[in-house]
Amino acid sequence: MNLLTRGIAVSLILLCSAARSAGPDVDALIPRLARLPPATIAFTEARFSALLREPVIVAGEVSYLGPGSFERRVTLPYRETTAIHGESVRIEREGEASRTFGLKRAPELGGLLSGFAALLSGDAAAVAREFSVASTGDEKSWALELTPLTRNDRRRLRQILVSGAESETRCFAVVSEQGSASVMLLGSAAEQPIAGDATLDALLRRCRVE
Amino acid sequence: MRRTAAALLGLTLWIAALGVMTIFVQRRLEVSSDLRLFLPSPTTREQRLLLEDFGEGPASRVLVVALDGATPEELADVSRALVAALRGGEKFRFVTNGEVSLDSLPDELLPYRFLLSRTFDDQPLNAEFLEAQLVARTRDLASPAGLILEPWLPRDPTLELPKLLESWQPLREPRREFDVWFDGAGARALLVAETRAPAFDPAGQRAAIEELERMFGALDARGSIHMTVSGAGKFSDLMETRTRAETTRLGGAATIGMIILLLLAYRRIGSVILTLLPLASAGLAGLAAVSALFGSVHGITLAFGFTLIGVAQDYPIHLLSHRRPDAEPDAVARALWPTLATGIASTCISYLTFLFSGVLGLAQLACFTVIGLAVAGLTTRYLLPSLTDKAGSDHGNSLLLQRLWDSVARLPHPGWAGGVLVVLCVGIVALAPQPLWENALGGLTPVPADLLAQDQELRAQLGTADLRYMLAVTADDEETALESLEKLDAPLRELVQRGAIRGYDHAARYVPAAATQRIRQAKLPDAQALRAMLETAQARSPFRAGVFEPFLEDVTRARELAPLTVEQIGDTALGTEIELLLRRSSGAVTALVTLSGVDDAGALQQLALGAGPAVTLLDLKAASESLVVRQRTRILWMLGAASILLVGVVAFALRSGRRVARVIAPMALTTLVIVAVLQAAGISLTLFHLISLILAAGLGLDYALFFEHAADDPAEQRRTLHATLVSVLSTLLVFVLLATSSLPVLRAIGTPVAIGVVSNFVLALLLTRPAPAVTRVTNSAQPK
Repeated sequence: MNLLTRGIAVSLILLCSAARSAGPDVDALIPRLARLPPATIAFTEARFSALLREPVIVAGEVSYLGPGSFERRVTLPYRETTAIHGESVRIEREGEASRTFGLKRAPELGGLLSGFAALLSGDAAAVAREFSVASTGDEKSWALELTPLTRNDRRRLRQILVSGAESETRCFAVVSEQGSASVMLLGSAAEQPIAGDATLDALLRRCRVE
Repeated sequence: MRRTAAALLGLTLWIAALGVMTIFVQRRLEVSSDLRLFLPSPTTREQRLLLEDFGEGPASRVLVVALDGATPEELADVSRALVAALRGGEKFRFVTNGEVSLDSLPDELLPYRFLLSRTFDDQPLNAEFLEAQLVARTRDLASPAGLILEPWLPRDPTLELPKLLESWQPLREPRREFDVWFDGAGARALLVAETRAPAFDPAGQRAAIEELERMFGALDARGSIHMTVSGAGKFSDLMETRTRAETTRLGGAATIGMIILLLLAYRRIGSVILTLLPLASAGLAGLAAVSALFGSVHGITLAFGFTLIGVAQDYPIHLLSHRRPDAEPDAVARALWPTLATGIASTCISYLTFLFSGVLGLAQLACFTVIGLAVAGLTTRYLLPSLTDKAGSDHGNSLLLQRLWDSVARLPHPGWAGGVLVVLCVGIVALAPQPLWENALGGLTPVPADLLAQDQELRAQLGTADLRYMLAVTADDEETALESLEKLDAPLRELVQRGAIRGYDHAARYVPAAATQRIRQAKLPDAQALRAMLETAQARSPFRAGVFEPFLEDVTRARELAPLTVEQIGDTALGTEIELLLRRSSGAVTALVTLSGVDDAGALQQLALGAGPAVTLLDLKAASESLVVRQRTRILWMLGAASILLVGVVAFALRSGRRVARVIAPMALTTLVIVAVLQAAGISLTLFHLISLILAAGLGLDYALFFEHAADDPAEQRRTLHATLVSVLSTLLVFVLLATSSLPVLRAIGTPVAIGVVSNFVLALLLTRPAPAVTRVTNSAQPK
């Protein structure tokens, strides 16, 4: 799922870069996010978990290949490729047997997936069917807060935060259960490395500020 | 019909008695459709296994369900919802669409994963291994799989449970779309559902299929998805419904036709009712006898039984046709009785041999027929005359019959024709390209070929086990059986690699032998050592100290557990699978290795030979064929004995070699003619044909006996001709209708009897009729 969110974030970024003016008006912002594949962008991501002392940080690039089709390639500190086609997810990591699983096995991801599909197609109404959407900031520095509408989805996925500046989406964060979250910095924001001792709050702040 | 008070009272009493018998039969009778009732008791292990599987084994209860007509995603959703609904219902004991969930092993059995998994057979559970695992888990957490795995990691950082579930998947898995099974083209979602009811309990199967259809109907609100259900249970339900529908239709047509025929022949409704009474009595008495003696009656016994006692319809016809104005009906009956009794006695005595066939269904059939025919004969002789009027006219004076008889009498007596016929028939049988006998067990329960092909196609898509070959391991107890299976595993894997088979399955894949589990147990580190290793590994990973306490607890418990037994796993989703693979019977255990995609049976045979005397390769096709052959051999011996008895009875009654030959010749020749005609038409003979041959012989015997009886009295000849014509036409009507049926079973009964009736009648006229003006004794124109 992280992958998916990331993939969609990439598209969001690309979409936003196409948009000349972005603003806190959700219904105006989301339609401008629609974008044609294929598109690829670099990312750096920090994964936080209650099980971990410090976040796991990986870097690579993600591609949006078409509706429901994404690829995420980790290049640092190890190589791993994840392909999502429809609902099937295939992970290949160097030195290990590949693994395949279905998104439906984690039902809470279903709502997320359709939400992202709606975001990518710029369908504000479809996003609103799955999430309550709040926007903050202004056109120079905007942020969207997506909260699942059903309690079942909220169980593992508390919120999705998408933020950007003017035409550029810089950050995509998924906040799950307590202490579990992943923050993905995209494009130019990914150029600065994430410190090994970064905290979730600090990173989320970095997403917000220009 | 006689209109006196006494006669009406008699009629009322008779009908009342029939009513009482109907009530008794309805209360007592249980119709079973377990085909095993019609098979001889098994003698080999293969035959025993086959029969178990056939009736109530899990394999025969498995229905394959296919869903199509929507996008794969919609189909997968319906498949998932259907599985959930059926699992909540009562009729199915096991339902799956291939979806694996991490909670398919109950919580209390989770610590056993360290005894079941092969992971630590070659790789010790040490600090290096743990460290490598924690690195991999760190990467998993940062991957899209992280969200799913995260809650499980504290308990299972080495992912033993997912590895175990994966190893339990079929070796050759069906295609998956959206996590559930699909066919190779990805167009149909596939499910497997095992009913609680055995396959040959049509009522139970129907209830299960109805539940399935109801639940599917509730899920497929738009009605666009099409569901196909296939399997032995579905077939038995389908065939019963079809057979009943067709029997009702044909039976209705036959009844109407028969009533019209009898009205034309006797011009009185009363006469028609009278002819039906002995037959109704025969059927009810037969049923009552069978239900009193056996409890339940097989559906086939009923069908065959009513076919065989159909000959009883002829008894009252003879009485009615022989009536004349100048004789009391009772006197007519008395005059007919020796001939009638000879026919009945010889037929009954022949059927008695079936009682000793060792096949329960045939014994039931014999009981039903003997009682039925005896009752029909006795009621015709002793009850019917008192209800019957003297005839207004004598069929013996019929001008039409007179002319008919005269033209028949002018026919030559072609004694040589019998010999020619024999040669011709034998030639046809010898030259026919198809085998004389149908050896496939399926020949007894013919399912339309298109349904069978569809079933095989669906099962091939699912990669379910080959139905023909399997390996059987016999042992004194489960542990020995599991150990033998483990020894077979390596050679079997080699066969898969060589392409001799595509996959295999056995119980030790799920529950290893206790000895193996103990070896694994002994290799597990103790709590203190494991804690030390884990702390070292953890310190070098980003994992927080102490998060893997649940893992430590599980390993510690696994060291103490008594090895997992088959019994313990019985209530889980795996229970059904294991029950199919490991069977206990009278102190011995039989473990099966099911195989899929068998390409080289020779390699399997070699493997079995090399594995010692406890391992055998079963060929269920050969077993079923040998069973059918054995059954047929028995029936043929019975028939041989029956023929000798029959000739004996006829000889006792007629006391003349020539007369006996004249009576026996038409039915013997007719039997040959029927077999030859069927062979010429490309039909191999089944049990159904054999039974029909007996019926045809019984009819032929009656025709011949009556022609013989009427030999030298012209009026009697005409009456006999009338009676026989009515009999022939009514029998022909019923069996020609059956022969037109779309159901192979009904056709297999209808065709031979219809041929037999014509052949018997013609041959009886040609061979049994004595030449006019020549006495029986001096007549030498009869064939031997």
